[in-house]
Amino acid sequence: MPKNDHYVIIGNGPAGNKAADRLRDRDKEARVTIISDEAFSFYYRYKLPDFIAGRISEDALKVRPYTIYKEKNIRLRLGQRVERIDPDEKVLYLKHMKKVGYTKLILATGGSPRVPPSFIRFMEYFTFMTNYNDAVRIRPELQKAKDIIVIGGDLISLRFIKMLTGMKKNIYFILTRNCFWPIELTSRMAGKISSSLEKKGIKALVDTPIAAITRQKNKLLLETGDGQKIRADMICSFLGLKPNIDFIVGSGIDTEKGILVNEYLQTNYADIYACGECAQIYNPKLKDYWISIGSENAALQGETAALSLLGAHKVIKPVPKNLLNVGGVSVNTSWWKQF
Amino acid sequence: MAENVPCQHACPAQTNIPGYIRCIVEQRYGRSYELNRMVNILPGVLGRICSRPCEEKCRHGEADLGQPVNICHLKRAAADLKSPWHRIKENLYTPSDKKVAVIGAGPAGLAAAYELATLGHKVTVYESQERPGGMLMYGIPEFRLPRDIVTLEIDNIIRLGIDLKLGVSIGKDLPLGKLMKTYDAVIAATGCLHSFALSIPGEDLEGVYSGLDFMMRINTGEKPAIGSRVAVIGGGFTAIDCARMAIRLGASKVSVNLRKTEEYMRIDAHEKKEAKFEKIAIYGLVQPVRIMGEKGSVTGITFERTRLKYLAEPPYRVAVPIENSEFTIPIDTVIVAIGQYPVTDYIKPKLKLNGKRIWTAPDTFKTSVKGLYAAGDCITGATDVISAIARGRKAALEVDALFVKHKRKKTMVRIESSEQTDRKRSDDFIPRSQMATLGPRRRLVDITKEVELGYDAIAAEEEAKRCYLCYLKYEIDVNRCIYCFACIDVAPRDCIKMIKDIDIKKDGSYGELVETGEWNNVVAIAIDNKRCIRCGQCLEVCPVQCISVSKVELIEQDMER
Repeated sequence: MPKNDHYVIIGNGPAGNKAADRLRDRDKEARVTIISDEAFSFYYRYKLPDFIAGRISEDALKVRPYTIYKEKNIRLRLGQRVERIDPDEKVLYLKHMKKVGYTKLILATGGSPRVPPSFIRFMEYFTFMTNYNDAVRIRPELQKAKDIIVIGGDLISLRFIKMLTGMKKNIYFILTRNCFWPIELTSRMAGKISSSLEKKGIKALVDTPIAAITRQKNKLLLETGDGQKIRADMICSFLGLKPNIDFIVGSGIDTEKGILVNEYLQTNYADIYACGECAQIYNPKLKDYWISIGSENAALQGETAALSLLGAHKVIKPVPKNLLNVGGVSVNTSWWKQF
Repeated sequence: MAENVPCQHACPAQTNIPGYIRCIVEQRYGRSYELNRMVNILPGVLGRICSRPCEEKCRHGEADLGQPVNICHLKRAAADLKSPWHRIKENLYTPSDKKVAVIGAGPAGLAAAYELATLGHKVTVYESQERPGGMLMYGIPEFRLPRDIVTLEIDNIIRLGIDLKLGVSIGKDLPLGKLMKTYDAVIAATGCLHSFALSIPGEDLEGVYSGLDFMMRINTGEKPAIGSRVAVIGGGFTAIDCARMAIRLGASKVSVNLRKTEEYMRIDAHEKKEAKFEKIAIYGLVQPVRIMGEKGSVTGITFERTRLKYLAEPPYRVAVPIENSEFTIPIDTVIVAIGQYPVTDYIKPKLKLNGKRIWTAPDTFKTSVKGLYAAGDCITGATDVISAIARGRKAALEVDALFVKHKRKKTMVRIESSEQTDRKRSDDFIPRSQMATLGPRRRLVDITKEVELGYDAIAAEEEAKRCYLCYLKYEIDVNRCIYCFACIDVAPRDCIKMIKDIDIKKDGSYGELVETGEWNNVVAIAIDNKRCIRCGQCLEVCPVQCISVSKVELIEQDMER
């Protein structure tokens, strides 16, 4: 292999880091670079609610210190956003007009907050909590807030609610069954979730449409379709994630909901791979395309992508249908397909 | 043109886009409307339903420059905001003794008829339906295109002395042969009225509609029965119209199913957004295998998954089915909208065809039958309204040339000296003005209620100010340039270049500029009009006034001979 190989990974999450580590282990000479638009180092996303509540410190969020990257000779380009990919020229264009060339590329861009079309018009009133920057911004606001509406939801929303009850907040949970992520809840599941929430003193509204949201002085006024008026300090939206592929669409790399890859996690370009929450794979067992969620799946895919890239042709096995316990209900979360 | 004014070049009718947008800034809405009407006789209609090829090419939408100008919304704004007492200008030529029949009063037929009428010929339009407009009246749903706008703009065409015969079907009520004998020329602009079928089992079940049939029935006042779960097959404008109509007719779950992905849909982002807002799901990478039924009615549909396969030439990607990937979903109604083709069986003797479409000789619109011309969707397959209008007009000019023995209109480039406009650099950073729309409830209660509400004068001006006015051309006079590089220092992007050589083509015109990074080799400083965003910063800073501005426009000029 030529010595001037440059492996570039876009994304500094579990998939990107695992891929970078594996590439470095197997190829000591190539340049390995991680590019991420987040300025904070690799952290545990699922710990964000605890961080916002003030239960854990910033350091406890971090998966590993910066020094690791120096030891491993992996270049970190944090706070740098990739704007465009030219797969034919093998060049990335960064937001600050910088060009970065690569010999092989791994896309591990993860996901960003999903807002179903019916909620788009209320977006300006929503608070999102998907990354470290959101968390830092929300932390002081949340300490002051008394009444909080949570639009649900997803798995993190339930974790977030648990954290809020501990903080003695007044909580309203609006659960829209066909907007739950990653699955569509049956009415039995929704009923179970809402009754277990009610027991904890949370007002749960199942399938109640939102008619309007307006700002009134310091409060937000939410009017429901059935005429209820709820005043709140914050409206937090947790409706899952959608793959970050906006900057990739139209580049020539095939995408649908996510980046389309084969079982080796290879895109339609031989030198570009995708892994984690941005990659969409056909799963013969489900007879459907699926996108994995969760950091464990992401890390496994990161490793697979790295090994495939190095020529090992490692195949990603269809993940079995995992059953997770969410609020007392078994929910299948290993895949999702609806947006 | 493609490099300098990309929007105008992308427009099939070559509308003077920067020209009419500038008129909106100056609040000359009537003039703006007329600039449109010179090449596109239905500006109010197109301002609502155009497929907007111009916006894809708008320079404002290039990487790092933000989003394209809402050109289409501005076209509508000109039509909406002009005075109700607005004076229409017609360039009328001396009447001739030539008679032309046009078959079909759709966009292509109307455009052809209008052009021929202004050129002085006696035109008769035969339309098989009860009302003129073709797809505008019977295909496109009313919530996208109010019928009073269509009627008004068609009336403006018909009153030029065009004889419009409604409810006459050529081939059925009147043989084509008779028409050919009575008129000096005949233009067939019959559109595409046959729908392609999926050719899969179960397509004859009750509850399966063709997209065009579904829309035509609604637009003639019928209310086709639909169930609560509707699957639309196809990803064009008709498919999305059908899906949005199904929601309005009471369906609770509507999906649009594509063989490829959203990226390859032939509709603009705007339509997609509205459809999704109305809770229509778009599923990619599926293709129908069979439609299941019980007692003659649809109960479900079986799809198989597909994957994208690369092709070296257009369409670049095809969908190939994945083995063993079949799955079935319960469904009550299936609407198949995968394309249309023209009706040609009324033409005897048989015409030469191009696939299922009518064949015409390149650039002449002449069919294989002498004296019979064809224009619009019947020669191209179902396209969009602006392409049909452009082709109808061109076909009319060909027919005119047949009578006059030479072309009476020629497209020329007019270059005139201009001044720096009053555009400010801050105008480049105005965000795109969103079009106000009806809320989700109000739009669904009445199937005729127009969803888009239009711009008011303020929104129109804000949006119009965003246009770079690419018809302006900035040039450096090399003889006066003192190579101070001040212009390069203020350039907002790499639009001013140091040149060491210029290719000179065989015909003497300038070709590509050869750039250099070395100051010693510079022979000229040049503005790259492909990159220039017409901000005028260079002009302001130039100490020797060696930068000039000219306005470059495509105009039509009369040819005496």
